[in-house]
Amino acid sequence: MTTETLRLVTPETPWRVRSKSQLVYIFIASTLPAALTFLIADQMKLAGLIALTIVFLPLQLLAASLAALITVGKRGILDAILTVSVLFLMLTMGFLLGSVALSLVQKGFKALSFHAIYQNSFYVTSVTSLEYGGLGHALVGTLVIVGIAVIFAVPIGIAVGVFLTETQSRMRGSVRFLSQAMTGLPSIVSGLFVFAFLYLTGWVQRSAILGSVALFLLMLPTIIRLSEEVLKLVPQELRYAALALGAPRHKAFFQVIFPAARSGIITTCLLGTARVIGETAPLIVLVTYLPSTNFNPLSGDMASMPTYIYSWLKFSTDLANQRAWGGALALMILVGVLFTLARFFGRKRF
Amino acid sequence: MESLNPISSNSFGADVHLSTKDVHVWFGQRHVLEGVNLEFPVNSVTALIGPSGCGKSTFIRTLNRMHELIPNAKLAGEVLLKGQNIYAVGVDPIQVRINIGMVFQKPNPFPTMTIRGNVLSGLRLSGKHSRNEDELVENSLQAASLWNEVKDRLDSPAGSLSGGQQQRLCIARALALAPDVLLMDEPCSALDPGSTIRIEETIRSISKNMTVVIVTHNMQQAQRVSEQTAFFLAEDNNPGYVVEAGLTNDIFHNPKDKRTEDYVSGRFG
Repeated sequence: MTTETLRLVTPETPWRVRSKSQLVYIFIASTLPAALTFLIADQMKLAGLIALTIVFLPLQLLAASLAALITVGKRGILDAILTVSVLFLMLTMGFLLGSVALSLVQKGFKALSFHAIYQNSFYVTSVTSLEYGGLGHALVGTLVIVGIAVIFAVPIGIAVGVFLTETQSRMRGSVRFLSQAMTGLPSIVSGLFVFAFLYLTGWVQRSAILGSVALFLLMLPTIIRLSEEVLKLVPQELRYAALALGAPRHKAFFQVIFPAARSGIITTCLLGTARVIGETAPLIVLVTYLPSTNFNPLSGDMASMPTYIYSWLKFSTDLANQRAWGGALALMILVGVLFTLARFFGRKRF
Repeated sequence: MESLNPISSNSFGADVHLSTKDVHVWFGQRHVLEGVNLEFPVNSVTALIGPSGCGKSTFIRTLNRMHELIPNAKLAGEVLLKGQNIYAVGVDPIQVRINIGMVFQKPNPFPTMTIRGNVLSGLRLSGKHSRNEDELVENSLQAASLWNEVKDRLDSPAGSLSGGQQQRLCIARALALAPDVLLMDEPCSALDPGSTIRIEETIRSISKNMTVVIVTHNMQQAQRVSEQTAFFLAEDNNPGYVVEAGLTNDIFHNPKDKRTEDYVSGRFG
């Protein structure tokens, strides 16, 4: 008997079912404002963006509130207002992001091709056809400059994060304060600091490593802050469990706490890298753009993606413009590739 | 306050394994535990009972130097393991914790390790080695009565176990180091009756060659597993202390102190 009845039962979500009158109100509240906006904008010849913000948004808020008042009651009003506002903001942000990505692809894809990835721009002028030359030198430069900054900032930043979470030292307060203050360091100031402190004093000759140092300074506070937050998320019970088994602090960290925080730590490195990979100001100050390839960070000028883009923007020809857009698109793709790789390696095993 | 009725080794008829001499505990300026004198005979099970906030958990953490991990923790008095003060200058807390294992209130297996990895984690973390790891894993899981449930999936993550199984895994993890003393801080408070009974069976079997100290809120559990019992109490913001300690049978059926009688008969707490 039971098997027969059981077969008739289907999974449902009764909490989502709406009555017919509710559906009618929702329909009216979601179509009427848009229709009215079209009419008004047409009559008064308003521009699209103005109609959207001055006419549509208030109308939609009003309609949603009224519909909520009738179907739910007073407490529905705030919900309706927040829902409409959040959706509106979300669509606005999505539109902005989408249009940035779209214009990058539209204007940049012509300058990107297979040869553009490995060729440099040594013989390229502002009127050279896009069939020749590329941004390989800038790609190499960015990877070298940012790579050196990452190699130093990641271990040091994580070590400071560990110091802040895993020790009871009295210095923690001041270290935390200083690293937070460093977060607000404008990138141009970081560049000028390195220029004055390392270059003008003659300690370091003109080279790409100056740029790495500036990016390191910008990256470090981000990594410290994020790795501290990530390590704080590891439950205290796990630390106690490890120590109660007779683990020295360092083994408890490397075998228990770090593995538990691993995916967060990788995200931390990513966000730190993302913070500096498109950084332009310190590189313009410190590392002069070079149209040919230079692998040596310790001497000579070097190209990088931001300075590559900047160097082509200085010309007014269409071709130079397209090369600049191509550089911007390549930078975005590079960031995308790095993020995907890090996500892949940082995924949770369990 | 003068501590009453320290458990005497003679009343139990076995050598004293672990004992405390006038242990006081503070957190910052707050005095939370006062003058605890207790003795834990070799291979006995001792239950620590008392209302919440009376300092049982704090006390048990002083027994393997986990107490000092809490910021602002202070301590006075001595904890003697086979006559040697574990708080003496020069004693390595790591060695103390290897000798005196601990099981916590909330099951806390290492989520990034497998079941097998969790059992062996004590070895890895304390830098010990074992000739036959497979045998150690099996023996430890057998002792924690978890082997039959997990023997076919030793390489699955520890997080895939149920709460009761996780707690028994934590016990197996502690047993793998073969400690002399096992401290258990309300090990069954988050578990269902079935898991509780299995853990009590585990306690009875490991106590044949291990000294066990268990904090519990469950009076029936204290009577079922322990040979001796200490009753802790803290009154109105005063530090906690031991009201009465002795053989479990006496504490529950023939208490000397009125407050003990009220507590074990469920009149307060």
